[in-house]
Amino acid sequence: MTGMFAHDALLVSLIAVLFGAIVGTVGIRRGRQDWVQLAFGAIYANFVLVTIATGAMIYALVTHDYSVSYVAQVGSNETPLFYTVISLWGALEGSILFWAWVLGAYSTAVIWINRKRPGTLVPWAAVTLLVVALFFAILLVGPANPFMPVFPVPADGPGPNPLLQNHILMAVHPPLLYLGYVGMSVPFAFAAGAMFSGEVASDDWIKISRTWTMIAWGFLSAAIIAGMWWSYEVLGWGGYWAWDPVENASFLPWLTATAYLHSVMVQERRGMLKQWNLNLMVGTFVLTILGTFLTRSGILSSVHAFTTGTIGYYFLGFIAFVLIGALVMVAGVSEKLKTRGRLESATSRETVFLLNNLFLTAFCFTVLVGTLFPLVAEAARGIKVTVGEPFFNKMTLPLITALIFLLGVGPALPWGVASKAQMKQKLLPPIAGAVVLGAVALIAGARNPYAVLIFAFVGYSAFANGREYWIGMKARHAAHGENWLTALSRLVSGNRRRYGGYVAHFGVLFVALGIAASQSFRREREATLKPGETITVAGHTARLKEVWGRQEPQRAVIGATMEVLDNGRVVATADPRMNFYPTQSSPVPTPQVVSSIGGDLYFNLMAFDQNGAHATVKLIVQPLVPWIWFGGGIVVLGAIIGVFPNRKRRTVVAPARQPVAAVPIPVATTGGGEA
Amino acid sequence: MNWKRAAIAALFAVPVIALFAWGFTKDPNNIPSPLPGRMAPDFRLPVFSPGEAPTTLPVGDTVHLASLRGNVVVLNFWASWCLSCRDEHVELQQFARRYEGKPVKFLGVLYNDFPAPAINWIREMGGQQYPSVNDANAHTSIDYGLYGVPETYFIDGSGRVAYKQTGPVTDAILTRIVDSLIAALPASGAAAPADSAAHVLAPAAPGSKGTL
Amino acid sequence: MSKRNWAILVAVVLVATFGWLLYGGLDKNVVFFLTPKELLAKGDAGYDVPVRLGGLVKPGTVQWDEKTLHLQFEVTDDTSTVLVHETGAPPQMFQPGMGVVIEGKYGRDGVFEATNLMVKHSNEYHPPKPGEKPEEMYKTLIKGSTP
Repeated sequence: MTGMFAHDALLVSLIAVLFGAIVGTVGIRRGRQDWVQLAFGAIYANFVLVTIATGAMIYALVTHDYSVSYVAQVGSNETPLFYTVISLWGALEGSILFWAWVLGAYSTAVIWINRKRPGTLVPWAAVTLLVVALFFAILLVGPANPFMPVFPVPADGPGPNPLLQNHILMAVHPPLLYLGYVGMSVPFAFAAGAMFSGEVASDDWIKISRTWTMIAWGFLSAAIIAGMWWSYEVLGWGGYWAWDPVENASFLPWLTATAYLHSVMVQERRGMLKQWNLNLMVGTFVLTILGTFLTRSGILSSVHAFTTGTIGYYFLGFIAFVLIGALVMVAGVSEKLKTRGRLESATSRETVFLLNNLFLTAFCFTVLVGTLFPLVAEAARGIKVTVGEPFFNKMTLPLITALIFLLGVGPALPWGVASKAQMKQKLLPPIAGAVVLGAVALIAGARNPYAVLIFAFVGYSAFANGREYWIGMKARHAAHGENWLTALSRLVSGNRRRYGGYVAHFGVLFVALGIAASQSFRREREATLKPGETITVAGHTARLKEVWGRQEPQRAVIGATMEVLDNGRVVATADPRMNFYPTQSSPVPTPQVVSSIGGDLYFNLMAFDQNGAHATVKLIVQPLVPWIWFGGGIVVLGAIIGVFPNRKRRTVVAPARQPVAAVPIPVATTGGGEA
Repeated sequence: MNWKRAAIAALFAVPVIALFAWGFTKDPNNIPSPLPGRMAPDFRLPVFSPGEAPTTLPVGDTVHLASLRGNVVVLNFWASWCLSCRDEHVELQQFARRYEGKPVKFLGVLYNDFPAPAINWIREMGGQQYPSVNDANAHTSIDYGLYGVPETYFIDGSGRVAYKQTGPVTDAILTRIVDSLIAALPASGAAAPADSAAHVLAPAAPGSKGTL
Repeated sequence: MSKRNWAILVAVVLVATFGWLLYGGLDKNVVFFLTPKELLAKGDAGYDVPVRLGGLVKPGTVQWDEKTLHLQFEVTDDTSTVLVHETGAPPQMFQPGMGVVIEGKYGRDGVFEATNLMVKHSNEYHPPKPGEKPEEMYKTLIKGSTP
């Protein structure tokens, strides 16, 4: 019943979306404002209809309505309510439904906010969003229909994938990822809108697109960190990143979006890089679709991949459509995008941005090549290969190191030209930070040159970014007599994008530090212990207290209780476990982490004796891992600061509609302008 | 629009799309099964579900694979907790009914499951045409290198595995393979005697807890 | 040369260098997926390079010493067999007869030293692996410890 009703809602939404896309296109061509309004209406209607369908799915899940195919596939009577609800995105069909819902929400928000804007930019963007929505609507009534009737109705289902019901982070990571991925459709739609409407040569549309890129980027950053955290807490090998195709798929658009967020500033300030920015925007969107395609089509081997089905062909068709369409459009309008400004000096902020973009794109390209190479190798030479971590590490470490350094140099340099004196004054003091952290790394025993360099550059960049705050606060303190806290908050709210950016920089530095430390100083050991015996790794000792078992409604749990000792005193306990699900023959390992600010003790139960006489436990000591999660939070905080509009103030930025002068604007007022 | 540039740009997409399209023809997770072309591992397993007339076997009997030699054998590994087994069930049953009287024997093999829920499942799903046996300790599943359920093995008249289907079977697959295997059977009278040798009657083995 | 040509030259050199680096990186770091038969057929070229070895665990060959954590077994594709050694515990459901993929290097002593052992995983509808009765593994423990 619920299923039929929801399926009808999806069917109507398909019609609405198709109708909206057609009527919108015709309406814009004929200049019929009322028709364009209908297209907007189709966006809102689609959102309402998909919301109804999603609500119906949650209802069906919660009420264990196994006549709905998706519920029969992922539901079970024993699964706790919480995991029942989040299994909405646990398997293919549900995730597509959720995806469509997020797209509907974004589209509605951005079109509603900009509905009164004159010109055809917004209508064309609406049509683009409707076309994307059309694709997902087709999937939902066709190959990925989650509401297929099941007959006869089963009495119980197999339950969601145990890996997904094993950890709370699974409730967080997928929605964040979808919010990030789908969010990139909005700036893409505006890029397409700008190309169709001919507004592409103006710089106004990028204001809308950059804000929405930043929102999506914030979600995507959070999703990547949450995904790392989930791998770390669940998969049991003590790592957080394995260059798995699915991980790479989420990272690729992040790289291009990060590049865009930087290079768009060069376009705003100097009227340069228009074509480039358009490419980045379109590329980011293509990469999100590519990522979805790679994870849903099963053409690459991954631990996270969804089951293959006919849906892959639809994605192939869509990706072909998007790729060809995007290339044709970008190449077609390229002549309108002649650069007006030019680079004045090698020592300026825009040079740093150019390098930043160069490295980020090279990074993106490297990861893309490494991800797709197995496919190429098999197609070209018929051999089955995998591209291992060594390739990615070796190729990307120099880029990462350089990017961390640039992250300190960029904010320190002014736009336009930096004089020798300025450079000296700005670039030399942070070396103190580099020396300190580099020395710390060396004393701690790091010998890998990249590791030492990364530590040093983190120190350099932290110093440089912190100094920007310090300078700004000092100026306010002196000029307005504000106390330090007021000065800080006014400083930030006066130019949120700039100071939000610096906050995000700090977050990235924390992440880099956490990764560098945990990779350099990771120590591990595995041992078979009888109760009372201890294991010692890098000065940390833990004792096996007991091996125990417990039957829970949906699973059986075997655990080993480990006591962390400090001078013979128990300071913490950990229960690494194995969860056995009836429909899953391999147990799902559940490692346990004892965290402190200095790092983690990571326990994993590897094997156990059936009578509890002994257990094999792995203990990994990983310094500074919590800093990665903390840093991720700071990155997101930076994005949040950057997204909100600035406090009203006297603006020094020229009106944007006015074409940027061919002569480079003298940028003496560096401190006040948008960074 | 500069269409010439646009067209050149579009050409760049072609190899990428071709690569993905090609990728579909491959399953990266596939470990090639060593079985096709080799002798099907033999087994003796207890019947827990009799099937429907005329292909019934009494519950508790033991099926010996070797005794089916001379027929085409379709071994379907399934379980009541497996959703994809539902997907294939109707087509598989219809096909089995249609091929009654031909020299092909169907056999369900229950994997990692218990007879009680499995019998419920069969009732719920509207019956199973052929008998099912219980692979209680999964030894047979191991012998066949089972990767999951459903999986279907097609064994030719000489006892070799001719084809293995991972995931649900469809009527088209069944028709194509079973027809070609029947056609390859030795022409004279393979079918007739096979019927009498369809199973070796044996008292329920002490270890077989197939029917509780 | 004009400025524009210089720019193009620099771009070409940069891209070429980068491409060359990528190619070199791939060439050295690609890991082949081989069956025991393919590995042995490689002869000298098969030694001491990282590979992923895929096959079935040969029944009756598994030895695990829980004290020293030495795990040893043979992997077969039914025509060839390779002896594998790993330090560490086997995956809990590791069973003779099941499909495995092993990352590691084949040494000249004829032993494949594994760094990573994976039982084939699939997420959605293929839950169990051959020959695994989870209940048997934990039943005694649960009985033994629940009051």
